Amino acid sequence: MDKKKQHMGMKAKTRLSNGIIYTALTIISIIWLFPFFCLVCESFRCESTYQVEYIIPQKWGFDNYINLFTKTDFPIWFKNTFIIALFVSVLQTIIVLCMSYTLSRLRFKSRKPLMNLMLILGMFPGFLSLILLYKLLSSWGMTNANSIPGLILVYVASSGMGYYVSKGYFDTIPRSLDEAARVDGCTRAQVLTKVILPLAKPIVIYTILTAFMGPWGDFMLANYVAHATSAGMNVAVGLQNMIGTSSSMAANYTMFCAGGVIVAIPITILFMALQKYYVEGVTGGAVKG
Amino acid sequence: MARVKLTNVQKVYDKNVIAVNDFNLDIKDKEFVVFVGPSGCGKSTTLRMIAGLEEISGGTIEIDGVVVNDLQPKDRDIAMVFQNYALYPHLSVFENIAFPLRIQKMPQDEIFKRVTNAAEILGITDYLNRKPRALSGGQRQRVAIGRAMVRDSKVFLMDEPLSNLDAKLRNQMRAEIILLRQKINTTFVYVTHDQTEAMTLGDRIVIMKDGLIQQVGTPDEVFDMPKNLFVAEFIGAPKMNTFETDLIREGNEYYVKPFGAKIKVDGSKGEELKKADIKPAKVILGVRPEHILLGHEGDPDSIECTVQVNEMMGSELHLHVLTKDNTSLIVRVPTVNLTHEQRDAMVNGHKIYITFAGKVMHFFDKETKNNLLY
Repeated sequence: MDKKKQHMGMKAKTRLSNGIIYTALTIISIIWLFPFFCLVCESFRCESTYQVEYIIPQKWGFDNYINLFTKTDFPIWFKNTFIIALFVSVLQTIIVLCMSYTLSRLRFKSRKPLMNLMLILGMFPGFLSLILLYKLLSSWGMTNANSIPGLILVYVASSGMGYYVSKGYFDTIPRSLDEAARVDGCTRAQVLTKVILPLAKPIVIYTILTAFMGPWGDFMLANYVAHATSAGMNVAVGLQNMIGTSSSMAANYTMFCAGGVIVAIPITILFMALQKYYVEGVTGGAVKG
Repeated sequence: MARVKLTNVQKVYDKNVIAVNDFNLDIKDKEFVVFVGPSGCGKSTTLRMIAGLEEISGGTIEIDGVVVNDLQPKDRDIAMVFQNYALYPHLSVFENIAFPLRIQKMPQDEIFKRVTNAAEILGITDYLNRKPRALSGGQRQRVAIGRAMVRDSKVFLMDEPLSNLDAKLRNQMRAEIILLRQKINTTFVYVTHDQTEAMTLGDRIVIMKDGLIQQVGTPDEVFDMPKNLFVAEFIGAPKMNTFETDLIREGNEYYVKPFGAKIKVDGSKGEELKKADIKPAKVILGVRPEHILLGHEGDPDSIECTVQVNEMMGSELHLHVLTKDNTSLIVRVPTVNLTHEQRDAMVNGHKIYITFAGKVMHFFDKETKNNLLY
């Protein structure tokens, strides 16, 4: 009887703590999701184009989306951003993974100093070099209308510094697997592609996602490089330009919100498509554990 | 199949830590050589230098007459089995074994033939579709051996392949490696810290300590004629009893005088001492536990001891005994000829009398620790 009582007490305790946790989580997620909810509502509001003091639209419709694609350069911006993000995600992923593998597996003299240098460089905010980058790109003719290759260049150039997470993951893969593969006839590159990467799928996916999202949402650098020519802008800059003045704000606000919703779509699709590869525990059984 | 020749091979870490020093060894074609020694003696490092996984700091390594110092592991045509198996966890057993063949771009049907053949030899045909994590330790090690087997490489390297297995499985796999060796008949280099493995597997044993070769020889040679005290104590289980004693000469006969007794060095040992004209001196005497016999009270060659620990192994007793001057000795007594009274006399605290078999004693120099007869 006593035992049963204790047992019930335990159950009740678990229930109570779960209740508190779920309530807290619900409140947090409401706070977090609320702006998105407002954004979506605004994007479907048809009765006015300026900011209003209520959330639920009085008249729903797709006007803002249609206008966005027909009356602005949004399709160009979208295409620009997509090209940039695509190139950067491919190039940056390759560079980051090679870099991580090198720092994780090879032992060379400047390894430690190099890692320290990158750590210190990473502490400086990126915008410190904005003016200089603009000067460089502009002298090479890679600004405004030609900003796409310029932006790709800048994003990719610094990608080697993002090695931390994947190096950390590679470090957990036993080195004897590398050695076995090398004895089995692999070159270093084959070791990476045939053994390490299949085992590091989650981290490869993570690298692709972050490499894609960085340029997709970048505003600061893109705004410098393509500030004058609409044809060279990415979505963030283009949309910001749409509401740059108070008059354009009043005329384009709901359209701006529609743009915001559309920008989120590719990222969401990418995430959902790659999500299933986030599988843990792929290294089980490799070596005696 | 190939000859492996190591000449003055050296491995130095961080400019001052010498892991392997002046290693010279000529491994014949199809020979099974075992490197054995305590941990940190440089045996694995030497193996990894042969494999190309460690850089060689000095000297040369030749495989089949070609200096391989600067060749990548993939260009050395070697196969290796690792202590922790090192199976590719994302690949099935079949693909694990086929991996080196796929890298060589071998035709599909040849791959299939070789993998199924290896699987049959190793008895893992039923698991070919499983992933490594669904296998037991012994099965995993078999897969690792299979992966090394299918290549038909010149040299087969094994780095403590059995030390992750439990005792029973280890004995079984050891026997299987002997069988495997008969089937694939290539040059083997095997690293272990276990002297039993070394003795049972090797054609020749290389005993190492602190990066230096102590002795190279067949199992018989290193057991019967250890070059120095280290080898004598390392090879054989339980380990050899060693203690200081006087070696004296009376006319043409040599005697030792351990613990107040006087025991004649007879048989071939006596002859050898005479031939080498060894001067009487204080020496370190080595007597293996199996070469200690039961003596009788009152005999001049008998030593009185007290039993401290009695380990019943079934076919034999391992007695840890203490002499009068508090030297601890281990005695191996076969149980087959013991009477009940004798066995009863060997319980803890009881007095027993022992003597040494004179023809199988070992004599080591007090200073150099080298075998006086080597």
